[in-house]
Amino acid sequence: MNRKVLITTILFLIIIPGMTTAFTYNSKEFKHIIGQLDMQGHADHELSTCSVKKIYYDEVVEMLNGGKTEPEIIQSYVDEYGQAALRTPGGGTSGWIAWGMPAAGVGIGSVIVGVWLRKLTVRKSESKLERKAAWNSEVEKEIAAKTFDEERRKLF
Amino acid sequence: MYLIGNISIYLGIVISLYGIIANIVGIKKKSSKWLESARGAVLSLAFVASVASFLLLYLLGTSQFQYKYVASYTNESLSMAYKLTAFWAGNAGSLLLWAFLLSLYAAMVVFSKEKKNPMMPYVSSILMVNILFFFTVMALNVNPFEMTDKIPADGKGLNPMLQNPGMILHPVTLYMGYVGLAVPFAFGIAALILKRMDSEWIKLTRRWTLLAWLFLTLGNVIGGWWAYLELGWGGYWAWDPVENASFLPWLTVSAFLHSVMIQERKNMLKTWNVSLIILSYILTLFGTFLVRSGILTSVHAFGDSNLGTYFLVFMAFMMLFSLYIVMTRYGLIKKDSSPIEAYFSKESSFLLNNLILVAAAFAVFWGTMYPLISETFTGTKVNVGAPYFNKVMAPILLVLIVLMGICPLIAWQKAVFEKFMKSMLWPMAMGVATAIILFAFGVKGIYAVIGLSATSFMFGTHLQEFVRGISARRKATKENILKAAFKLTVKNQRRYGGYIVHIGIAIIAVGVISSHTYSTEILKTVDAGNSIKTGDYILTFNELTEHTKNGNGIVVADIDVTYKGKDIGKIKPEKIFYETWPEPSTEVAIKTNWSQDLYVVLSSWENKDKVTFMVKVNPFVSWIWMGGIIMVIGTAFALIGGRPTTFRYQINKGISRVGGWKK
Repeated sequence: MNRKVLITTILFLIIIPGMTTAFTYNSKEFKHIIGQLDMQGHADHELSTCSVKKIYYDEVVEMLNGGKTEPEIIQSYVDEYGQAALRTPGGGTSGWIAWGMPAAGVGIGSVIVGVWLRKLTVRKSESKLERKAAWNSEVEKEIAAKTFDEERRKLF
Repeated sequence: MYLIGNISIYLGIVISLYGIIANIVGIKKKSSKWLESARGAVLSLAFVASVASFLLLYLLGTSQFQYKYVASYTNESLSMAYKLTAFWAGNAGSLLLWAFLLSLYAAMVVFSKEKKNPMMPYVSSILMVNILFFFTVMALNVNPFEMTDKIPADGKGLNPMLQNPGMILHPVTLYMGYVGLAVPFAFGIAALILKRMDSEWIKLTRRWTLLAWLFLTLGNVIGGWWAYLELGWGGYWAWDPVENASFLPWLTVSAFLHSVMIQERKNMLKTWNVSLIILSYILTLFGTFLVRSGILTSVHAFGDSNLGTYFLVFMAFMMLFSLYIVMTRYGLIKKDSSPIEAYFSKESSFLLNNLILVAAAFAVFWGTMYPLISETFTGTKVNVGAPYFNKVMAPILLVLIVLMGICPLIAWQKAVFEKFMKSMLWPMAMGVATAIILFAFGVKGIYAVIGLSATSFMFGTHLQEFVRGISARRKATKENILKAAFKLTVKNQRRYGGYIVHIGIAIIAVGVISSHTYSTEILKTVDAGNSIKTGDYILTFNELTEHTKNGNGIVVADIDVTYKGKDIGKIKPEKIFYETWPEPSTEVAIKTNWSQDLYVVLSSWENKDKVTFMVKVNPFVSWIWMGGIIMVIGTAFALIGGRPTTFRYQINKGISRVGGWKK
């Protein structure tokens, strides 16, 4: 029994450090997290010439290797700097407004264009109807036909 | 020199004021003498602005450090090209450049063959109000000819990031685009003031608008190329507030260029068109305000100054003035507009296209300003960075691409659905085939595949239009393919110029979607003689060397590169340590082939034999530059030819030509 415990402990000691030191700048998880952080406005700077960005990179790698998960790391920065820690607006009223407004803009715009199109095309169909209605009266049509006929006779 | 420089600035104010007054008096008294004199004022303004500009160039070129501007942006070791381009490196110089370009444009406009047009005094007055503003700001706030208290031995030098060929082209092209929009704006307002609600102003300014759009396109593409080479982060577009500011008028002018076609053909959307051009012009002022106010953090922002207030006041004035003119003429504009024949028509599709472009502009504007809005109204500090814009803009731009594929197939007035579906067949097949091929080759990312397929569909539509046109012409004339293609495009320059622009956009879209989705990046430390493998590339680091050039220390890494096992030569990323700049600058090394870029940055080093590199493989980035060039070619093609479709409308309606129209 003691032997089993000893072997398991040794195995854990070998595996766990291996697991916890696995994260580097090239890790997928690291890139995903770092892609969300604004890094006090240094996110788009070049790593080699930006000391602030370098600090963030090292911190995130350290936290990942320390066993923290992605939400925990993100939360730790939000706790420290507020929503401004992130590159995009997060939750809350402000976040909803930020994300919702472009969609609302497209929606309202579509309605306006729709109504406008309808108005413009309706006007056309109304004028067509008016013209048609004018010829609907048989008497008028007959008079007009007679007039045209007389005029034609005069000309020829 | 000091006197000449300052006199030219103050003369600029006096002459533009005189020109405006002379125009007003000329209009009131109907005196051609006064109007002639005002025209002379515009020419004088161009002369004065040229004197000031060439003087500043001379001072920069000859390193006259007794001038603050020269001492702030140049030094002895700077090459002549960058000494001269420091002209637009700072606030004072860039405003002088603006005034110079605007005065040249104004002179070209008032001395054009339309110089006797009744709109011209109004146009020249509006342009001179703009010029007056720029000269006044220079005189009051940022005088390029201000002297230093103590003459320094050497200047501060130019920011290393600005020491790139992009500096020679990007600001000038963008400014030419910005300034160019003042011309159609001035014509639009002049037409409103004169209550001339026909499409004459559109006809007169078509080339100016296209030219402005061409320069805006060129400016944005060169800016992206410059960022890609110089900033070292491997990207070309960061949705930086100032980048957005130059993208906004591009979007609204794109909308305008499409909707004017409806006004030309159907005499409708008059309020919309004039509003769009006003909006585009205001957005150029907004962009200038953003760069100079410092209200938003940006890599482009000019140093500290209180110029923002001046621009805000001017922008508000122009906005209110335009709004007043539009409102007072609204009833007149609405008159005499034709209805749309059917929902399913090219007219409707152009309206949709306008909606999408304006929605895109709104989304960009909203994202750019939201950090300010949020802090002001909700008290929450937020950032709106590239991930936000990518998410919001991706669906909008996807719809736009699909619409660009559909629009050419829809007929004017009333389209027949069956015919339309029939003409959609081949482009649709092309889009579907693209999706199948991409999936078959194991390409991942459903959104990217959708985007690429939509782009392929759009490309297919345009290709089909060319093929159809050529074969129709061949049937009628029995010409060979090349001759038929040439004659077809030359005889319909507006149409096919537009199609070429669309093809350019398709090529850019492939570059953007691919590089955005399938780019790979690794950061790796290697010893001398060791390799980095990424994709099909193997990079073997040989050595790190050091030398000096123009007094600056340069560290160079020597790397051998193989692609798919074949030796493709060396690349040498660098770090330059400038004497006058605290931080080193990065010179990226790039190997380009038709499908991807190998992008290497010398990141850091422990010693000569242990170096860290950032290696990126960016697929299809070169397509973005190529697409940009094609867009410019297409625009230039449409620009040099093309008869306004107004003729068709006027002939159809039997309306006589007015206002000095000539055949």
